[in-house]
Amino acid sequence: MAESTDATVEEKEVSSEAVSVDTDGFGASAASEEVVLDVKELQTHFTTRWGTVKAVDGVSYHVKRGETLGIVGESGSGKSVTALSLMRLVPSPPGNIVGGEVVLNGRNLLDLSEKDMTEVRGGEISMILQDPMQALNPVFSIENQVGEAIKIHQNLKGEALWDKVVDSLRKVRIPAPESRAKDYPHQLSGGMRQRVVGAIGISSAPAVIIADEPTTSLDVTIQAAYLRLLRQIQQEEGVGIIFITHDFGIVAKMCDRVAVMYAGRIVEVADVRTIFNEPLHEYTKALIGSVPKLEEKTGRLPQIEGQPPLLYNLPAGDAFAPRSTLTFTAEDAARRPPLLEVKPDHWVQLSKSSVADYDKYAHLMPAEDEE
Amino acid sequence: MTTAENVTIPGAPGVNPNADAIISIRNLRKWYQVGGGFMGFGDKIFLKAVDDVSFDIERNKTFGLVGESGCGKTTTLKLLLGLEQPTGGQIFYEGEDVSTMTKAGKAEFRRSVQAVFQDPWSSLNPRMRVRSIVGEPLEIATTMTKGQIATRVGDLLSETGLNPYQANLYPHEFSGGQRQRIGIARALALNPKVIALDEPVSALDVSIRAQIMNLLVDLQEEHGLAYLLVAHNLATVRYMCHDMAVMYLGVVQESGETEAIFNNPMHIYTNALVSAALPSHPDIQREEFLLPGEVVSPINPPPGDVFMTRTPLEVDPNHKWANERPPLVEKEPGHWVVDTPWSMAADAGLKVELTGHEGV
Repeated sequence: MAESTDATVEEKEVSSEAVSVDTDGFGASAASEEVVLDVKELQTHFTTRWGTVKAVDGVSYHVKRGETLGIVGESGSGKSVTALSLMRLVPSPPGNIVGGEVVLNGRNLLDLSEKDMTEVRGGEISMILQDPMQALNPVFSIENQVGEAIKIHQNLKGEALWDKVVDSLRKVRIPAPESRAKDYPHQLSGGMRQRVVGAIGISSAPAVIIADEPTTSLDVTIQAAYLRLLRQIQQEEGVGIIFITHDFGIVAKMCDRVAVMYAGRIVEVADVRTIFNEPLHEYTKALIGSVPKLEEKTGRLPQIEGQPPLLYNLPAGDAFAPRSTLTFTAEDAARRPPLLEVKPDHWVQLSKSSVADYDKYAHLMPAEDEE
Repeated sequence: MTTAENVTIPGAPGVNPNADAIISIRNLRKWYQVGGGFMGFGDKIFLKAVDDVSFDIERNKTFGLVGESGCGKTTTLKLLLGLEQPTGGQIFYEGEDVSTMTKAGKAEFRRSVQAVFQDPWSSLNPRMRVRSIVGEPLEIATTMTKGQIATRVGDLLSETGLNPYQANLYPHEFSGGQRQRIGIARALALNPKVIALDEPVSALDVSIRAQIMNLLVDLQEEHGLAYLLVAHNLATVRYMCHDMAVMYLGVVQESGETEAIFNNPMHIYTNALVSAALPSHPDIQREEFLLPGEVVSPINPPPGDVFMTRTPLEVDPNHKWANERPPLVEKEPGHWVVDTPWSMAADAGLKVELTGHEGV
């Protein structure tokens, strides 16, 4: 055990018996240029007795093969509904996808029949849910639960099915997969159950995995192991990951690109380093600035005043304006701000009320009469 | 106040003898019997949730307890609040042993030590209006009139950043951050000296966390409050705490001044936690290491060092500390650590340097 304790060792082997020191999986991106998922002007609305809630209000983004896109936002920002809309799992009523396109591998998922969609779900696109501790059924064996998705999507039986189950468990680094497959969820530790959920997610070699805050309920060390595992699987399989989170630490560690959501809309999209180094939108700046840092003792944290808005009662124009500390007139905030590419691959929802550098980019604003 | 000036609180490893302590916890234990011991025969089996924990909470300062689930940090907080009865050890308040206090002394202690809980969605009674929630401690523990209570509730709400007219609303009419403010207002109602904070921001939205943390810091300055903060987020602990202890399996592994620990984490376990914590910038890529195995069950832990089953270093089974609980040792001023041949990160080559992204 003692030989692998040198912190400088560049290691590849993943052994639960030895201390594994590594940075692999992080830093190096597996992203390519091929777009696998393209979401265009997606709109998901909920009809409630207080009015129409525009949970997702014209959201566009894309995911490339092998890339991790972080969708960051607070509760009520629409980030989880965006993900459910991609899977067409928004409960209806009250929810409805009222507009837009979700193009996965060249097909618009919103046009598919429910039967075809069942094949896509868990096949081409799969989801790792918020609370993996509860995502497993306690009365079925691991083999049964991992095998279920494989049976549906790959039509395998008997020996071939078993081989595939064991193979999926091996991919998520579960030790002794043959015997673990016979176990029931309660026989596994939290970290191992987590991996089983991951195994179900990757079992059908999806093009895109949606991870909806999969590590919020976990301890830091287990979280770190799980994030690393996701990243390793991504490099091996070239899968695109949409990582939904409110934690900028996870974004810093996992994501290649980031979309920041506020009140059902994307306010800024850019490469992760651009988001951290040169954020343009006041909300992005404030969110990053208000998080305490582990690396240094910081002085008083800058805080964002006010609350996130209620979605059934959104201001007509710039939704962030009521919390913005910039100086602007009511007229500046009244217009619904367009999402514009202000620098190559750096998009921001441009308005005088929420972007301090507005004047620099004002010439990009489309003429007002379009709306 | 029944402060006994002449009572001496025993010193303990890991505790600064010059601390201006308002709460002193000494050799605190909470063992749950989970089996065995039939009619006095056989070996009893204990789950040692908290085992021999000692620390001081200083006046006007924040003491942080960190560790993973099951490490005993929340049980320690419950023991302080009297929500659990200790199996052994003592809690001193203002120099006096709480267990030997008179009834009046205990009541005073209870009034002076309040709590704010993690989840503002479940810790407030949904059927009570805010004025009853915040005013309830005043009704029970003081002789104030209804009018006086109403005024005091209004003051408390303003102080915690709410509007006094919101006193007539119900909890569901508030957002998560506002609910946590209600919880804080209630905790402040009896002018406590100590507030136990159990993960006070982890259930809140990111943009609200800074508001609540800053509110807590302001209230501490205004009222000279002492806090016991239980958290698993190390960045929150570094921001809020003056002193801290890292717990593993019911035992403190490293303790001391927060900055001393973050600048030079010594125990392998502390380094593992720090290395696994999320970075604040994408250019910071810490070498993270994972300890072998998983957290072992706290049921009948080894008689020696509880950490020895997780260390990557060789453990000599005949070593003294493999058979006897090792004490905390002061390795540098104000910085204590369990020092065994297999617990020090420097010996394992696993020291984590926390640097900002400019330095990388």
